[in-house]
Amino acid sequence: MSAWQDLVTASLIGTERAEVPAATVPGLPDRTEAVSDDPAALLLDRAALLTVARRGGTLIRPAGSGFQAEPLPAAEPDQAPPVSPAAGRRLGRMLGGEHPDLLAEWLTAAVARDRRVPAHLLPALLDRARRVSPSDPELRRLSAEAGGSRARWLARLNPDWRFVTALAEAGEDAWRLGGKGQRRAYLAALRTRDPAAARELITQSWEAAGPERVMFLSALAGAELSLADEPLLEAALDERDAEVRGWAAHLLARLPGSALGQRMARRAAGCLLIERSMRGTPMIVIPPDGCDAAMRRDGVTSRHGGGPAEMDGRTHLLHEILARTPLRTWTDQFGRTAEQILAVSSGAWAPVLFTGWSRAAMAQRDQEWMTALIDWALAGGPTGTLFGAETLRQLARRADPARCARETTASRAAEIPPPVRDAISVLRFRYDMLKELEL
Amino acid sequence: MSVPEAKVSSVAERWDRERVLALAPDAPSQLTAQSLASGRAWTATGATAEADAVWGECRGSASAPYRAAVDLTGPAFRCSCPSRKFPCKHVLALLLLWSDGSVPDDAAGPPDWAGSWLMARAATAGRAPSGEQAEPKDPRAAARRAEQRETRVSSGLAELDRWLCDQARQGLAASQQAGYAHWDDIAARMVDAQASGVAERLRALASVPHSGPGWDGRLLEEYALLHLLAVAYRRQGELPPPLRETVRSRIGFSLRQADVLAGTLANGQPVRDHWQVLARRDLDQDRVRARRTWLRGRKTGRDALLLSFAAAGQALDDSLTVGTDADADLVFYPGAVALRAAVLTRHGDGDVPPDGGPPEGSTITALLAGYAAALAADPWLDTWPAVVEIIPARAPAPAVCDADGGVGGHTGDGGHTGDGGSLPLHPGAGDCWPLFALSGGRPVTLAGEWTPRGLWPLTAWDETGRAVPL
Repeated sequence: MSAWQDLVTASLIGTERAEVPAATVPGLPDRTEAVSDDPAALLLDRAALLTVARRGGTLIRPAGSGFQAEPLPAAEPDQAPPVSPAAGRRLGRMLGGEHPDLLAEWLTAAVARDRRVPAHLLPALLDRARRVSPSDPELRRLSAEAGGSRARWLARLNPDWRFVTALAEAGEDAWRLGGKGQRRAYLAALRTRDPAAARELITQSWEAAGPERVMFLSALAGAELSLADEPLLEAALDERDAEVRGWAAHLLARLPGSALGQRMARRAAGCLLIERSMRGTPMIVIPPDGCDAAMRRDGVTSRHGGGPAEMDGRTHLLHEILARTPLRTWTDQFGRTAEQILAVSSGAWAPVLFTGWSRAAMAQRDQEWMTALIDWALAGGPTGTLFGAETLRQLARRADPARCARETTASRAAEIPPPVRDAISVLRFRYDMLKELEL
Repeated sequence: MSVPEAKVSSVAERWDRERVLALAPDAPSQLTAQSLASGRAWTATGATAEADAVWGECRGSASAPYRAAVDLTGPAFRCSCPSRKFPCKHVLALLLLWSDGSVPDDAAGPPDWAGSWLMARAATAGRAPSGEQAEPKDPRAAARRAEQRETRVSSGLAELDRWLCDQARQGLAASQQAGYAHWDDIAARMVDAQASGVAERLRALASVPHSGPGWDGRLLEEYALLHLLAVAYRRQGELPPPLRETVRSRIGFSLRQADVLAGTLANGQPVRDHWQVLARRDLDQDRVRARRTWLRGRKTGRDALLLSFAAAGQALDDSLTVGTDADADLVFYPGAVALRAAVLTRHGDGDVPPDGGPPEGSTITALLAGYAAALAADPWLDTWPAVVEIIPARAPAPAVCDADGGVGGHTGDGGHTGDGGSLPLHPGAGDCWPLFALSGGRPVTLAGEWTPRGLWPLTAWDETGRAVPL
């Protein structure tokens, strides 16, 4: 040890000014005769000898020595089995950048089947979950849940992943003392466990909440809603804060049987008619005249509130109403299925109907309509506009891929436009992904 | 007469003296070969008409006689002497003897050392299309090029050694202020000298002075090993042939894979086994990507390293998947530690179970003992295959502990028992979080590369016995 240090010191100074120290290796005959008269070459000779002797003589660092590394405590075994090898490989690819936007769906499906993320992928998953905004803890919650006990074990080793244990331990303290993210996580978890208790908690806290009311409502976005939620949401439509009103209208439009849905249905009923004529059965479209206060209360935005630039004011209003109208309105009114309604020729109105109905189908999670709309788009339908392409992109991520299996397997890859091709590839990816998670 | 007619005709088309001498790489070789072609130096010479082969043993300066053999069908030459002239003076002298009719026919056939080589050649010749002859088209031109290269390398390494001694004379302390050019310049001169292996090692040194505490020791180690390499090349005639091959390959004399597979080198027979693909590591070098694939034979227990290269942007060889087995014949490159190999033949994939389960990991002590033994044969060896049973540890730095050692076992005689000890993970391997996650604090089988700076983890096997690349 010290012989080597002496050589290193001498080499730093240089043999012009330093003596070349001796180098002996225990067990080797002492070869002191110099092979070269050059002290520099002698130093290198001896350094080579000691380098190889030291490398060959590397000893395991014995227990109890200063270098001793303590083995880690073992993680508790996880009762839930890991996902299938194929599902694990796909998760690895997704963490590597393939369709990362579908991670939440992968995790949700794994949690629903009580399967675990393969352990070696947890570091990459937790890193990704950490990078997403703390105000939207959905990916964090899902990662923690799908990661099981191994994720909690890792979180104790790396402070970056502390959110895993923080989420698992989010008790009432998190609600009383925690930051906005923790309070939201607590509320979302309570909502899943006990919807009535969560509602009660929101009602009690509403007056004092101030700007946190937005957070209350956004925490409900991931949950199943029921009519019991309606009074709270209906009251929120009269709040001064536009963001609170917007969330309330958004949630009510999703809620089956809500009063808001019925009001929308009345506004929409006169807008669309199917007429028999000599030239087939066209869809007659009559957009609404204008936007009144009641419509604005229900979340309909007039022209300035965003929306596709390619629509004029009245078209935009029609689109807003369609997006919030219960889809049963149409099947009831026309006495036709979704597929039959979409088969009715609507000419230049087709893109507006497509995006409006698509938004409604996604909000109301209506698989029948989503499937029919995708069929329509895949059959070369109304996706020629930018907005239509974006809508199709979203549909492909929300529709049940098993219902679209026919389209996803039988497609002629050559002549189809890029948005449709992308939709097909996403549907196919999700179909395989969910099937692997069943294995 | 002493040479019966029948004997002459038994070897078809015996070459005349001119044709033999025309094989010589240069004029001095012709002269020394002619002086060596006297019966006194030669023993155990023989020829077979069937194989069209000649062989013989020649006493030289070394204690063991040099063994020369010629496959006349190629022609192909082989000799155990250290000369890099091709063919060497022994082969030329043997052929001159044979041309004179001084080599007797040997009905018993060649001795084992020549016979195995001749048979391997015959087998390859039967397989390889004639267009892919292992021998260069113009042996004289090739030999001339080879000799020019020897001269360049020789003067290049002499220059390198002077440079290294200058560093040691002036002191390494200044290296921390030196820029990349300090090493790039000498590396570029080694490229000119056609010593690419040395150039690569030198270029890698530029980062050492900024590699944290202990940089001075690491730089001295590398300088010392380069010095050792230059000295070893200078005195290669004194080295045993396998070590000579190691020295030459580390300098940058690369063997053609075709030659290795043809078995024309002193590298033994192909080894057939169910090779378990343990681990894989890809390295981005200057303009080339390199892939190291580590194999272990299930029956022989032998370790093998396959190297493949691809230009940037091109795909690397992907035929062997980590976690599977391959039933294959491997041919090992000659060297003091026969580790590098090439696939000669792969046998029916269908018969091999795709995954024969995890390998058996050794203790850390056994790993270090194996490395020490290999290092004794090849002092430049700094990447050694490791398959160990370990529990990972994080404090004070990422490390691995012996799996069955437990904690606090007392070390008895001077700390050499090893159980319960640990080895550091390579600092360049980063946090190694996937390894920790996979283990969960429990023992795992880990395959990787052991280096003087620590263990580089590459593959671990999960609780179901599946290989997980890390």
